[in-house]
Amino acid sequence: MRAANLSLNDGAAGSRRRGLMQRLGMRGILELGGIYAALILVLFETLYPLLWVLFGSLKTKQEMLSNVWGPPSSLVLQNYADAWRIAGMGSRIVNSIFVTGSALIILVAVATPCAYAVARLRFPGRGLVVAVAVAAMLVPPQVMAIPLFLVARDLGLINSRLGIAFIYAATSLPLSVFILRSFFITLPADLEDAARIDGASRLEILIHIMLPLVRPGVALILIFGFIEIWNDFFLAFLLLRDPLVQTIPLGLVSFFQQYDSLWTLYFAALTITTLPVIVVFVAMQRQFIAGLTAGAVKG
Amino acid sequence: MSTRPQEAAPVSSRSGTWRFDAGDGATAFVMILPAAILFGLFYLWPFVNGFWLSLHNWDGFSDPTWAGFSNYMRLAHDRTFLGALRNNLIFVVAVVVLKNALGLGLALLLNRALLGRAFFRAAAFIPVTMSFVAVGLLWSWIYNPVFGLLNSGLDLIGLAGLKRSWLGDADIALYSIIVVDVWKWLGFHAVIYLAGLQTIPSELYESAKMDGAGPLQRFRHVTVPMMTPIIFINTILGLSGAFVRNFDIVYVLTKGGPNHATEVVLTYMMSKAFQDGAMSYAAAIGYVLFMIVGLASVGLLALMRRQRLDV
Repeated sequence: MRAANLSLNDGAAGSRRRGLMQRLGMRGILELGGIYAALILVLFETLYPLLWVLFGSLKTKQEMLSNVWGPPSSLVLQNYADAWRIAGMGSRIVNSIFVTGSALIILVAVATPCAYAVARLRFPGRGLVVAVAVAAMLVPPQVMAIPLFLVARDLGLINSRLGIAFIYAATSLPLSVFILRSFFITLPADLEDAARIDGASRLEILIHIMLPLVRPGVALILIFGFIEIWNDFFLAFLLLRDPLVQTIPLGLVSFFQQYDSLWTLYFAALTITTLPVIVVFVAMQRQFIAGLTAGAVKG
Repeated sequence: MSTRPQEAAPVSSRSGTWRFDAGDGATAFVMILPAAILFGLFYLWPFVNGFWLSLHNWDGFSDPTWAGFSNYMRLAHDRTFLGALRNNLIFVVAVVVLKNALGLGLALLLNRALLGRAFFRAAAFIPVTMSFVAVGLLWSWIYNPVFGLLNSGLDLIGLAGLKRSWLGDADIALYSIIVVDVWKWLGFHAVIYLAGLQTIPSELYESAKMDGAGPLQRFRHVTVPMMTPIIFINTILGLSGAFVRNFDIVYVLTKGGPNHATEVVLTYMMSKAFQDGAMSYAAAIGYVLFMIVGLASVGLLALMRRQRLDV
């Protein structure tokens, strides 16, 4: 895992840099200036559009058209109250929390025993289960949207929040089983053997001994799953047709398509849905980035 | 694949002679069953049923009739579909190349002892956490001809001649969408490249420097060979996403217009299924997309195996 490498010590880097400046002279300073200029450009193209939405959400509609780039001259907080009410944000947020929460609970409950079995038990067909999980990762759920819609319709799961939670869990299942399996495989067998001599069942071993040890793996599939499911538009668009059960991304799109040019309210609605996620990310960014890169770059 | 844990010879509580408990088969069955049911119902069954469906003619309600491969034959002559396929391929190639080139470039900038490196890295990553819908809506306003950032910015810096209807002009709309997708994912690829760059031992650079290699030669002969596995990972991540994760952005920005100029395979599939009610034709579109994605993935994996990359 790369977590250690990713936590950078900026203080030490700063003092080392001052030493370098004296040694490198003019050329080094120019080079460093170029790097900072490039980084500030990246910073600007990344953050300014978000700041622009925040500014816009606090302007009057007239000011938005006359003062496109600048900060608001006064704070029109009424935009937020109006956006919340007209876009029905409250119920959309509740729906998103319910769907994502249920899907993640189902995913962990189903993927963990499966990953444990293929990692730690010997039984006929074990290789097949792993092969199917790997093959399924090559089949993105989007390509079977039409038959998936028909299955959901036949099972009465259209417009069902719990139904789409099961489907989200299924689409995240192959990758999750694969990730968890690689965590289970690394655990030493001794732990398990000792517990079995004491008469513990496989399920007891899984819950009380193994699960606490693979917590980083569970955290990883929860992070992946959360980003996927919380942000998903495609499957929600396919399966949640009734406005009463729609999640945030779907609600946002229908709000914008339903009403004509309520620009400041659109900006407010986008701020309401985006800002909390950004705040959570900034607070947890080290763990978040370490988790996402852990699987990709082996230590 | 490692079999190490199994070779460590667990002891059976009953006889002590079995390497493994005789009950393991039954236990494994019970533990896998929930996953198998979920997977079978919402993954395997739609996958198989989709192929069956693509060989029939069906509107989703009346009785399906056997059609053989006629849906696929029709696709081969469907100009809108072929245009969508072409757009999809342009999209894939452009975003994979741009995300890798810019991501590696940003990672190289960040891989120096800089003040505020963690801040720059976190900032570059913020768009990754946003949903496609949020990103799409944001950019639909940036491109907006009335109050959009882009056109008013061009006015500000005196380049009013470059003002365009970024999403309304059929010649550039697809590229405008590509920019949005690259904007969203740049930080993600940069962070993976950065993690990879940090695994390169600094001695390699120092000995190359002593051999008289300049910055470009060091990049070419140290960074690139050491980063090949990471380049593959980033290509795979970008590639698998680019084929199928374009519906949200295209739907929000242009809905495939103007006049199918930004139509991609998934937007066409959805409009066939839910506007025209051509369920089996749409299922065939999904299957063609699956075969393309599958071929691309298998090809890339085979290439990786030939390069002896253990990923």
